[in-house]
Amino acid sequence: MSRARSFSGGTHPPGNKELSGSREIVRIPVPETLTVSLCQHLGAPSTPVVKPGDKVAFGQVLGERNGFISLPTHSPAAGKVVGVVEAPMPHRRTGPAVVISVESAEEAPAFEPWPYWGNRTPEELTDRIRDAGVCGMGGACFPTFIKLSPPPDKRIDTLIINGAECEPYLTADYRLMLESPDDVIEGMRILAAVLRVENPCIGIEVNKPDVIGLMKKKGVRVVALRTSYPQGAEKQLVHAVCRRKVPAGGLPLDIGVVVQNAGTCVAVVQAVRDGIPSVSRVTTVTGRGVRQPGNFLCSVGTPFSRLVEAAGGYGPDVKRLVSGGPMMGIAVHTDEVPVTKGTSGVLALSSEEAVGTDEGPCIRCGRCVDSCPLSLVPNMIAKASEYGKWEAARKLGALNCMACGTCGYVCPAGRHLVHYIKRAQDEIRAMARAGKGA
Amino acid sequence: MMAETRKFELAVSPHIASPESVRRIMTDVVLALLPALAAAVYFFGFRVLLLTGLSVLAAVAAEVLCLRFMRKPVNIALDGSAVVTGILLAYNMPPSAPWWLPILGSAFAIAVAKQAFGGLGCNIVNPALLGRAFLLASFPVLMTAGWRPPMVDGPSGDGTWDQSGIPTARLEASDVVTGATPLNLLRQTYDWDADAAEAEAAGDGGQAAALRDRAAVARRLLFSRDTRINLFLGRIGGCIGETSALMLLLGAAYLFFRKVLEPRLPLSYLGAVALFAWIFGGPGAFQGDPLFHLLSGGVVLGGFFMVTDMVTTPVTRKGRIIFGIGAGLITMIIRRWGGYPEGCSYSILLMNLTVPLIDRYTKPRAFGEARKHG
Ligand code: SF4
Ligand code: SF4
Repeated sequence: MSRARSFSGGTHPPGNKELSGSREIVRIPVPETLTVSLCQHLGAPSTPVVKPGDKVAFGQVLGERNGFISLPTHSPAAGKVVGVVEAPMPHRRTGPAVVISVESAEEAPAFEPWPYWGNRTPEELTDRIRDAGVCGMGGACFPTFIKLSPPPDKRIDTLIINGAECEPYLTADYRLMLESPDDVIEGMRILAAVLRVENPCIGIEVNKPDVIGLMKKKGVRVVALRTSYPQGAEKQLVHAVCRRKVPAGGLPLDIGVVVQNAGTCVAVVQAVRDGIPSVSRVTTVTGRGVRQPGNFLCSVGTPFSRLVEAAGGYGPDVKRLVSGGPMMGIAVHTDEVPVTKGTSGVLALSSEEAVGTDEGPCIRCGRCVDSCPLSLVPNMIAKASEYGKWEAARKLGALNCMACGTCGYVCPAGRHLVHYIKRAQDEIRAMARAGKGA
Repeated sequence: MMAETRKFELAVSPHIASPESVRRIMTDVVLALLPALAAAVYFFGFRVLLLTGLSVLAAVAAEVLCLRFMRKPVNIALDGSAVVTGILLAYNMPPSAPWWLPILGSAFAIAVAKQAFGGLGCNIVNPALLGRAFLLASFPVLMTAGWRPPMVDGPSGDGTWDQSGIPTARLEASDVVTGATPLNLLRQTYDWDADAAEAEAAGDGGQAAALRDRAAVARRLLFSRDTRINLFLGRIGGCIGETSALMLLLGAAYLFFRKVLEPRLPLSYLGAVALFAWIFGGPGAFQGDPLFHLLSGGVVLGGFFMVTDMVTTPVTRKGRIIFGIGAGLITMIIRRWGGYPEGCSYSILLMNLTVPLIDRYTKPRAFGEARKHG
């Protein structure tokens, strides 16, 4: 086997994947009440088209697309709309949501299934993927159809399926690739057909040798990646796989590459082949704060508390609850928040696992600089941000930062580098908007 | 159902962190410095323990007092960085220094060089080195006259060893007057060369030849294998922490394996010292003895423990290399042409001042950023 490919910089947090890695995906029953966020994707929230009292069927549209970068939202179950409300959300304090009282968990195609999608045009397929509300399932939630509709001047010649799953703890994609390899592969073929790409490949970290072996046996082109964080970040993945660098401030599109997550492939195949909109996902519930970590298939709108229950409930020591992985995930203050399309994991971290919030002064050790996969200077950006020097932070490249958390992980002083950099990004963007307005 | 919904702590990502901490790093540095202390006790006696202990105590006390005074949390003083400063300052002192000298130096190092700039991470120059410079300026005699010869005899029964690491018997056979340390003796040879030139100009050819001869003999003794072995083991006069290159290397290896030591800084520094020693450290161009210059004086101590001080050195990879080369060059310039026999600590202090500039101009190009032209 050729040497595993990688990128420069990065770090090696303990994987902790053994907690849940051997657990088969278990379906969590649809709860009596679902809180379906209207803002599960990146972009404008969908506009609600139902009102309290309405009966909805499985897969019925609850919210319509609102603008170009937006997606529709579908009902994960048949039932009755109880309310259209502002509800606590995992990725922000609150957000618009449709609350559904579930009457039947029965699933039925909401679109015409296309088992022979081969005779569909790329446009038809793209529209289906859009109308089914498919977005990136890796956590970024970028509407998938947009990546499939590159501007005419951009020629796409490479499709990479992201099976790196580089976030520690998470095993959802791993289980999905292991248990439903055919769905992942068919989803990849659909995406390849839409993009008219000849030879798509799948990038997998070498810590999943069984998946690599399985995919190879099925005739898929696999690129083995070194286990290193953030191997699954788009730019790092693209660079590792095809030695091309995405320009700063640009997209993989700009160099002819499209990256899609392995979980997204499954959502795509369900939308196209089975006519099922994106209303469920596989999530890893793990951490030493739950008794039986595992991987669960759950409907969008299921509260985290149900997931934790399915994972055997909380152990004696839970310090922090995180939506997503430990490097980029967001801490939530309650488990009464619902699963969204982007919920790749729910972590209950014990006090031993969760890092303390104490912060010391920067000792200028340079580790953040050495490890930033985007070759930024996190310590300097953070310092500029701390003193409110937004322009200086911008000049240092603050906007390039993808918040991967590597710098914060390696910092011996426990500096909240990502926090400061995100803050600077917000301010810089606000300044830019104000500048345009003036 | 639970009556109350459970509340969880909110925090910013990432939610896990490497086990590294400032205290752990400082503890490792302290541990790495201990073998050299053992060597110093072996060669110079228990007095060096007293000096080092006082220095550390004074440093920590000064840190606590400063933090109190500035109404900052005092527990910061326990991060270990003051301990490191205290040790390093003591290591830069002659073994016979009076007991109050390290106290004064440490207090100055912490209060003026560190806390006045805002404390850990904000200081521009290495506190221990500035403390040493302060002592050297205020008490030049005490800082340069307190040498003692090592108390230990040579291995071969060759009789006693001079402070310069040269067997006394051989010194007596020549008419070389001993230097206090190897570098002092080397400095004298340059002086003799200069005197010889003067004598020649005055027409005293005999005197000139004698001086040249003496310088040559001294150099031959200095650059001999025996001297090198003594330098390596530490059987020479010198500052407390500088004596044993072997013990310092042991500590450095420990730091390297603990991943505390960033290899670029020491390697570029030591490499530069060796290179420039070879180029202009000898009597003529390209006749210098790199090994002698590497092993003598504070180069090993400085190269692994002061050039590598994180706070006062560049954060970029390229910057670290530039820093090391710059410090190495200045060290050798001072040794060859400067007013002091040793240039290690001043070279580091000088380079400390250039760090903001180095950092600015060596900022890595962001991933995917176009190369800037012009
Ligand atoms: S600066 Fe941004 S991109 Fe770089 S390591 Fe930190 S979070 Fe990641
Ligand atoms: S890793 Fe932390 S302490 Fe080190 S330079 Fe970066 S911010 Fe400073």
